[in-house]
Amino acid sequence: MKIGVLLKQVPASDSRIKIADPQRGVALDDVKWEINPYDEFALEAALALLDAKVASDVVLLTVGGADTEQRIRDGLARGATAAVRLDDAAFGGSDCLGVSRILAAAVKAEGITLVFAGKQAIDGDNAQVPAMVAELLGWGYVGEVDQLEVTGAGAKAWRAAGGGARDVVEVGLPAVIGCDKGLNQPRYASLKGIMMAKRKKIDVKGAGAIGVDAGSVGASAALVSETNWGEPPARPPGRVLQGDDAARVKALVAALRDEVKVI
Amino acid sequence: MSWHELENAPDDTAGSIFDPTPEHRMLREMVADFTRNEVEPQAEHHDREQTLNLPLFRKLGELGLHGITVPEEHGGAGMDATAAVIVHHELSKSDPGFCLAYLAHAMLFVNNFYHCSDDGQKARFLAPTLTGETVGAMCMTEPGHGTDVLGMTTTAVKKGDEYVLNGTKTYITNGPDADFFLVYAKLDGRVTSFVVDRASPGFSTGNPIHKMGMRASTMSEVIFEDCVIPASNLLGQEGGGLVHMMRNLEIERLTLAAMSLGIADRCLEIMVHHAAERVAFGQPINRFGQIQRYIGESYAKTEATRALVYSVARQVGPGRNNRLGSDASKLFAAPVGKEVADNCMQVMGGSGYCSEYPVERLLRDAKLLEIGGGTLESHQKNITKDLTREMTR
Repeated sequence: MKIGVLLKQVPASDSRIKIADPQRGVALDDVKWEINPYDEFALEAALALLDAKVASDVVLLTVGGADTEQRIRDGLARGATAAVRLDDAAFGGSDCLGVSRILAAAVKAEGITLVFAGKQAIDGDNAQVPAMVAELLGWGYVGEVDQLEVTGAGAKAWRAAGGGARDVVEVGLPAVIGCDKGLNQPRYASLKGIMMAKRKKIDVKGAGAIGVDAGSVGASAALVSETNWGEPPARPPGRVLQGDDAARVKALVAALRDEVKVI
Repeated sequence: MSWHELENAPDDTAGSIFDPTPEHRMLREMVADFTRNEVEPQAEHHDREQTLNLPLFRKLGELGLHGITVPEEHGGAGMDATAAVIVHHELSKSDPGFCLAYLAHAMLFVNNFYHCSDDGQKARFLAPTLTGETVGAMCMTEPGHGTDVLGMTTTAVKKGDEYVLNGTKTYITNGPDADFFLVYAKLDGRVTSFVVDRASPGFSTGNPIHKMGMRASTMSEVIFEDCVIPASNLLGQEGGGLVHMMRNLEIERLTLAAMSLGIADRCLEIMVHHAAERVAFGQPINRFGQIQRYIGESYAKTEATRALVYSVARQVGPGRNNRLGSDASKLFAAPVGKEVADNCMQVMGGSGYCSEYPVERLLRDAKLLEIGGGTLESHQKNITKDLTREMTR
């Protein structure tokens, strides 16, 4: 079985995000990049199947420029067997649907039968691409998976259903799985893996190579446009409740009920 | 930016002397992640208990770090001195004591053994030390001979197909935990190297030696009482030990200097955060010139250490020597590590002195680096000797 992992480069989770311009978005010049943390669970799920010999290949699929290759190398160092970087002038400005069209075409072109993706990326937090890829391919999709069993023909997936309940979904292959925290413990790249990664080739493919219509992707085809960027409102200052214990408890309950409205 | 990233964003340093290749960058990120997630949480416990965390030590083997300088065809990673510096630098941001155990194994035993052993010896001893299944140590210092190492009195005598060793080594890092020992002894008055299995008849180790710092690594005497080892445990040629010793001291001193850099980096970061958050007389204490002096001087000296250590690392390796550079690195770095840790404690006041924060542990650890692997005075001696030879010929 050939597994695809959708790998996205995102600003590190502890980055200080600053608005560069209300019309242009955030400043990325000083950002340290990392693999989207949820994609690390996806990669680990794929590598576990490779270790178990359920999978024969694990292919990383990334939409982006040459600057994403460091993250792709990180994925190869952990054990992925191949990587395709999807890069074309026509891809620039794609929204989630455009990116999904690119990835779905690449999945098809690579002969992949099972796709793992993070349930969402921590930059845009859209949580749309994995489901869109599945829809475009006509495959089943299970999102927010935190426990998984894969057999040759299908997969059984578990996810939180709220209130401590568990949702159990069985899906036939081919399928797309959106991975959540708790699914596994991502491995470190070993030194051997790091040295082997430099001998693995990253294929770079454009619209023609994966058979995607250039007019269906990119800024001109985007259905979503970003109109304005701004900082979240400043956090209001804290308040120290006064009086004896009884008075402070009473004031706290009143504030939680009447002002914050959480009880 | 947190302490494990203080090296500057790795993307900025790719191609620099700090991360000369993408593999160095990935190594640094891997070790930094491992240190933050797995080394930091256990450091205080093993310092208090004075024990080596063997399961964690073996994880270093799973990551391939024990054979970092061993060529790939013999099961290692085939990386250079800069890579070894990166590992010691990053590990020491959290746990210099644990890092010292790693250094004693990977640099003093594995790296040294690899370069002076034959294929048969590699087949017998190398593989389990690369995985961390067995622990290695190196025996040089004796109760009566430290810096004047050539005065050593441990002897080896050849008897048929065996060598018989007699003498006592002391301050041997990993002594209580090690399985294999690289031992220097005098054979007919000439320093000679041997590999000794703990199971050898006549071999024993003393009780663990309690220390001020570096308590997450263990230390003991190693005692040879008519210790019998097969002749096949001779490393290299009889009398070849001095070359082995001097060749390995360079990477040893460089990686020890990298440990001081790791301590300085961590303490600087703690100092800066504390000075920004701690309020006295109605304002953050980083507004006071006295505190600014600690921070400013600590930063400048840490950056100078970083530049020196990584610069020299490019000139150390098999076939490349820079004794002057490695001595200078440790001579400069060790006092900086101690000074920055001390400055951090001074900025933090009482909280820095308490074990709730790692600073008091790092300060205790930092002191060892002015002594172990060559005292500051030995570096001054070596530098003077080498410069005099170079400049007055």
